[in-house]
Amino acid sequence: MLPVDGIPTPEDIMAKMPPPERLARGPVVMVECFQQIPCDPCTHACPRQAILPMKDINEIPRVDYEKCNGCGQCISVCPGLALFVVDLTYSEEEALVKLPYEFLPLPAEGQVVAGLNRAGEEVCPARVVKVVATEKMDKTAVIWLAVPKNMAMEVRHLKVKPRGTTVICRCEDVTLEEIEHLIKVEGVRTLEEIKRLKRCGMGPCQGRTCLPLIAREIYRLCGTEPDSLAWPTYRPPVIPLKLGVLAGGGSDDAQA
Amino acid sequence: MKREVRFAEIAVVGGGPAGLCAALEAARAGARVVLLDRQDHLGGQLIKQTHRFFGSKSHRASQRGFKIAEALTREVASHPAVEVHTGATVFGFYEDGVLGVEQKGRVFYLKPARVIVATGAAERTLAFPNNDLPGIYGAGAVQTLVNVYGILPGRRVLMVGAGNIGVIVSYQLLQAGMEVAAIVEAAPVIGAYWVHAAKVRRAGVPIYTSHTIKEAYGKREVEGAVIWQLDGDGKPIPGTEKDLAVDTICLSVGLSPLIELLAQAGCRLAYVPELGGHVPLRDENLQTTVPGVYVAGDAAGVEEASAAMMEGALAGLHAAYSLGYGQQDYEARRAAIREQLEALRSGPVGEKIRRGLSKAIIQL
Repeated sequence: MLPVDGIPTPEDIMAKMPPPERLARGPVVMVECFQQIPCDPCTHACPRQAILPMKDINEIPRVDYEKCNGCGQCISVCPGLALFVVDLTYSEEEALVKLPYEFLPLPAEGQVVAGLNRAGEEVCPARVVKVVATEKMDKTAVIWLAVPKNMAMEVRHLKVKPRGTTVICRCEDVTLEEIEHLIKVEGVRTLEEIKRLKRCGMGPCQGRTCLPLIAREIYRLCGTEPDSLAWPTYRPPVIPLKLGVLAGGGSDDAQA
Repeated sequence: MKREVRFAEIAVVGGGPAGLCAALEAARAGARVVLLDRQDHLGGQLIKQTHRFFGSKSHRASQRGFKIAEALTREVASHPAVEVHTGATVFGFYEDGVLGVEQKGRVFYLKPARVIVATGAAERTLAFPNNDLPGIYGAGAVQTLVNVYGILPGRRVLMVGAGNIGVIVSYQLLQAGMEVAAIVEAAPVIGAYWVHAAKVRRAGVPIYTSHTIKEAYGKREVEGAVIWQLDGDGKPIPGTEKDLAVDTICLSVGLSPLIELLAQAGCRLAYVPELGGHVPLRDENLQTTVPGVYVAGDAAGVEEASAAMMEGALAGLHAAYSLGYGQQDYEARRAAIREQLEALRSGPVGEKIRRGLSKAIIQL
């Protein structure tokens, strides 16, 4: 219960749900504001006046769902971060949730993050479709998340998965989680692809540290034996050399 | 020893939201104002408030607190009738209405015709075993440390108190990269606006109402805290202890109005728990029982900064009016400010404030 643990009840949520026929037509705002507090910026935020004017700033916002087109311009204006836009028509399997986000680093478009429910529990993976963070929004970004359709009314926050502490490529600072993401989510299967995406093998060690480790991950996740895996081409120089040394410029303090 | 006393029309003590608005309103009415603040910069507690404010759009709602401080400070600094003294602490209110001021190691005395005391409030603390261990702070202090100085007090924090400050600071500590182990609140319900509570909760912070801190522990600094549940009478229930590994404990257990100068001035005080403790009795214009001495903001009763700004404006307006300034626009301006203040307080969350004010506001 909100006043006791900060979590709105299913009944609280039901009361804030836009009409089903409106939800079926596309993106629409959901105002998760449950308490009369002196606050009215949302009523001035909508270019279509879909959030109705208040007589008293202590009123709870009311929405004309027919006027709302789900643009989400109101989201970053709410001091309580209580406005969301839900689009159940986004695709066959997925719904879109637009939510306010005030943490750094911002997720990248295309990144898979954890979708969190109103209790802060991870409920599903969520794909970042768009990150809107203009000057005017003054550091309250709006993140568009694609989530499984049955999670549209659950996901209200996100967690950027930590980078992890297991380093695979020391030269280019790439972690195990990033390699796993490439293989599991992006469908990458070869060392060559990983080299081009993450520069693994292109640093000072020229792949001595990372390539065997990455090969093992590919084997672990895809079953490809290392001997059937194409190894990137070894090109000179195999150790870092100063261009001046290579050009015969006379400097002999080349560092390995 | 010879002491020189300067004369002034209106002195405003404290350059937070109430003091800034008091100075601006009085100056705009035509009075000359001396604004004193003990910090090196104006803005009071606004300068660390990185969250968007509630309130009315027409009065800066949805703006972040520190941006409001910047805007008000600019307006005050550019007004020719306001003389700003920063680093200036008013250390005493003497007979005949003389203020003693310390500034950069030197002392001067000021005799204003009107004084507006906008000194704000102080954080309260809590008595529990080992509460003197390094790592235990006031939540407001931590907010300053993190948002003004960019310093994290630790890695994992227990927040004691789920009022607006406790919940907002918890959120800002998450933003700064700390982990918030829990928020505990002795009352059976969350005091903060529910939208604040909902946003820290969905970020994964558990909120335990009817819980308090039993003790802190650690050798040289905080290594953990034990919390426990309270029964319906507020008594701890043995066996409900939870041990939290934290290196920081923030106390957000209320504020007390800073009324020392008003007490020295001889203002009649009343103990009003709804307003945070001892507050001066005053009339609708924020004038205390000592003629010419006004109070505004948290010093008059702990409330939101948006209300403090309106109170400051009312006090400044009346102080100037009483000196003969702004006679023409007075009624209209007064009505406009009062309407704003009324709107901020008229809802269900203003009920406690209204109850408190009914005990503190008198006819003079």
